[in-house]
This record gives sequence, C-alpha cells and structure tokens, in this order.
Amino acid sequence: MCGAHATVRGFLGEIVARAESDRHIIVDMEAGLEHLSRGTGRHVSRLVAVLEPYYRSMETARNVATLASELGISDVVVVANKVRDEGDRTAIADFCRAHAMQLVSEVPFDSGLAVVERSGGAPIDAAPGSPAVQAVIALASRLSQPAVTA
Amino acid sequence: MSRSVASTYPLIRMRIAIAGKGGTGKTTIAGTLARVLARGSREVLAIDADSNPNLASVLGIPPSKAQEIVGLPRSLMQRITSEDGTTKAVFSADPEDVLRKFGVVGPDGVRLMVMGKVGHGGAG
Repeated sequence: MCGAHATVRGFLGEIVARAESDRHIIVDMEAGLEHLSRGTGRHVSRLVAVLEPYYRSMETARNVATLASELGISDVVVVANKVRDEGDRTAIADFCRAHAMQLVSEVPFDSGLAVVERSGGAPIDAAPGSPAVQAVIALASRLSQPAVTA
Repeated sequence: MSRSVASTYPLIRMRIAIAGKGGTGKTTIAGTLARVLARGSREVLAIDADSNPNLASVLGIPPSKAQEIVGLPRSLMQRITSEDGTTKAVFSADPEDVLRKFGVVGPDGVRLMVMGKVGHGGAG
C-alpha cells in the first residue's frame, strides 16, 4: 500500500466533504484522478476537464469525464484552452458533441501568457487584461451559476 | 459579459476539480480561477494534487515562499484495527489544523495546499 497516496486521499476526502465550511475549493489534478475516491467524488460539485484542440488532449479529457462520472461526479464540463481559430473551435465542438461532453467555455491562445509563464509569474498579476485571463474571469462567473448551460 | 464575478453573482459554494492532459494549461486555469474567486466573498482553498506541483507560481506565490511548503506527513493516517481483526488506515487529523499547519496563504488570500510533495522523503 502506498502511504503517501492514502494520506492525500484521506485529506481530500475530509476537506472536500466538510459540510460546515463555506470556502470554495479548487483542486488541480492529474488526468487519472487517482486522488479521488468514490466517496470524495460525490462531494465534488463539478469537474472541469481542460482540453486543447488536438486529438490526444481531447481523448484524455474524454477519459477524465468518464472517470469522473464513475466516481459519482454528476456535473462534468469542458473548457477548451489555447484556441487559435475557427478550425480549432470546430474540431473541439465536433468532438464534444460526438461524445456528449458539455463545452462551457473557451480560453484563447494567448502568446502574452506564455511570456508571463516562462518568467514564473501569476498571469492575473502580470497580464490581467490579456485575452486568456479575461476568459478565465468569464469562466468564473459561468461556474458560479448552479447549473451551467451550454 | 460580466466584469466582476464577485458583485454579479451570488456565489454558490464550489468544490471544483480541474483535470486534463499535462500541458493543456489546466494549472494556469485552476490558479487564475482561484485568484478570481478569492476576490469574491468566500475564502478559496487551492489544492495542488499534481505530481509535478506548480500551482504556487500561477497563484503568484514567490518561489522563496513556495519552497517552504511541505507535504502532508503520513503520520496523519492512523491504522485502526476493527473487532474482526481487519485493519485499515484512516485520516486521523483535524483537516482545519492541517490546513493551518501545512497551507500557505498567497495573494488575494488564496490558501494553497500542496499534495504532490507527499512521500518525497521516503519510499512510496
């Protein structure tokens, strides 16, 4: 048994399930969702699968969505990142439609952000007006609504 | 399109997991989302459960402070034996204490916990 893994699972289970806390919780996870148990999954209000407009990334997101529903996460949405043009947009929309995945937001490819990230800074501090940061602000308000509609 | 999340919507409590293939920018989105939400009325806890943790930098936590972050010790799990003789490991600490002890607070008050550093000190 992997003790470290169990510790993470245990902590996530405790903190995510806590009913009395009113804080928001954002968990950045690997595609395998290894740290989520079925019990914890039920307390995750929404899973956001991030994908880029290329096949392997979209396939990974599809697997994430499948795993999430197996873990009891009922609300799974897709955010398309690094979208450059209409071709990207169409490819993602087609993929999501084909696999019944709910695409809720798009974050544009943003060369300014790449510069910020190379230097290790926070995008929201270094480039608050950039198209990508503005798209995440829009995403936040979208996710703030109880039911996300496409 | 709304400019301010905080003032426009009565925020429901969110417990969001963000995942995707490595390199998709999921961490950039997760960290920026955490910062945006933290400007609203609720506290935000950001948890880095990636094995290559770098949420701290996206949150704007300086490298010197990020280096001080320690992972969760395994002693937080306790092996308990039930009456029929089977044992299982349960999380035995108060999660709020764990947050205070192991979390760091960054810009906009976002509290960060890093999971992926767990186990670096010994055999996994």
